Amino acid sequence: MRSASTTAWLYRFCQFAIAAGLMLSASPGFAQQPDVGDQPGLVADDSYELDPQFKKQVVLYRTTEPPGTIIISSAERHLYLIQGNGRALRYGIGVGRDGFQWQGLLNISKKAEWPDWTPPPEMIQRQPYLPRFMAGGPGNPLGARALYLGATVYRIHGTNRPDTIGTAVSSGCFRLVNADVADLYERVPVGTKVIVRQKPGL
Amino acid sequence: MLRTFRGGLLIGLAFAAAIAAAAITYERYDTKTLKRTIRRGEVLCGVNQGLPGFSIPDDKGNWTGFDVDFCRAVAAAIFDDPKKIRFIPLDANERFKELQSRKIDILSRNSTWSMSRETSYDLYFPAVSYYDGQGFMVRDSRKSESALELDGAKVCVQNNTTTQLNLGDYFKTNNMKFEEKRFDKLDDVVKAYDSGDCDVLTADVSQLYALRLRLAKPGQSTILPDVISKEPLAPVVRQRDDDWMMIVKWTLYAMINAEELGITSANIDEALKSKKPDVMRLVGTEGAYGEVIGLPKDWAARVIRHVGNYGEVYERNVGQGSKLGIPRGLNQLWSAGGIQYAPPIR
Repeated sequence: MRSASTTAWLYRFCQFAIAAGLMLSASPGFAQQPDVGDQPGLVADDSYELDPQFKKQVVLYRTTEPPGTIIISSAERHLYLIQGNGRALRYGIGVGRDGFQWQGLLNISKKAEWPDWTPPPEMIQRQPYLPRFMAGGPGNPLGARALYLGATVYRIHGTNRPDTIGTAVSSGCFRLVNADVADLYERVPVGTKVIVRQKPGL
Repeated sequence: MLRTFRGGLLIGLAFAAAIAAAAITYERYDTKTLKRTIRRGEVLCGVNQGLPGFSIPDDKGNWTGFDVDFCRAVAAAIFDDPKKIRFIPLDANERFKELQSRKIDILSRNSTWSMSRETSYDLYFPAVSYYDGQGFMVRDSRKSESALELDGAKVCVQNNTTTQLNLGDYFKTNNMKFEEKRFDKLDDVVKAYDSGDCDVLTADVSQLYALRLRLAKPGQSTILPDVISKEPLAPVVRQRDDDWMMIVKWTLYAMINAEELGITSANIDEALKSKKPDVMRLVGTEGAYGEVIGLPKDWAARVIRHVGNYGEVYERNVGQGSKLGIPRGLNQLWSAGGIQYAPPIR
């Protein structure tokens, strides 16, 4: 019970980041748009065929980071799990919209299966049709698993909208299709190093 | 009288020798490619007659491809117009001789840079545009994720090629056994793999992606990430025309640097207003980097505006925006998992 409410409370922060980000966003009309990535209640279509570049695959990847490290390349919409010997397991992801993008090094601080969702008041105001609380499950926008990133409001999580993989719609969190996030969840322990890289600004 | 005659003869001989020397110099040292190109009003670019993703004409004679775009980039740098170019399709045997005899200004034709090629034809490969190399295609049912898991496999390969030699070396070095199925024609290699006569097909990685499209069920084969040989593809120019070589070399490096700096054909106007020093040097709002290679200040901005940065050109022609769908792999930037690296513009 406590664990579930903590999950909900933490996710509130993630959503709060959306609202804060929207207020700071350069384009004023942006806040009027619905979050296309959030469609609570919709059950993920497991048969959805991802574009080949976003399917899980082993790729060549040279790095000085040790095996087991996660490297997220926002611009590419790829998450790499370093395997060593010049290769990595690559997953397709959906990333934060412009204005919600950040860069840095964190560790996975917690893992959760089928996390609950509590949209914050700011988000309810913007999208009044959203539920006040949503228990974890197949219709939950957070999907099958969540990996918490340090003490931040950001997560690597699943989704009920596999068609948003490869796009920039989230609040700064990183979303994978449920099968992929479940696969990644089994491969990485709490404490895993996560490096987030962004395209440089002009 | 005799003395005068002798003097005249000497002068005449000296004169003739000077002309001969000049002719030899002209023959061996060509330092005027940029001048000739500007006078002509177009770049003469030697390309492959038809290689999907790299250089191929459509039915209206419009050329597209990775190698084609590189030549367009050079034309954009010089003329601010990527259309001021003529493509000259060349076969593998004639390509270096055509460049040597000045029938073309640049050869951009999936040519591997090697020491013997550079030295025996008096040519120069200014920089690597595409790191290719030998790889393996396997059926998904094998569940192999690495070339080191191919022990005991039946491998289809083209006969009498360096590919065949590399294959043997790789398996021997890694203490693996394999059964080699050799064919003289690449078509037959593909057919044999498709019919199930072998589990693995080996060729250069760029080729494997094109060959996979010809399979009955392309979705059931994977190209492994391993690259076991070095096939650095590069544009080619004549030796001893340093000015021209600099233009070709820095055009490529500008495209790679632009990708690293986040400058694209879509945001080039924004980049021209940037206050970041490295962006300013590249787009020409600071320094005189165009002038030093005989071009205007905005040479690199022209390249990015008309053709795009390295990543854009890659993805459009051979990457995710193309039928081939070749992952960046070695050709990803050095800072993002690959080895593509350009010296800085400063």
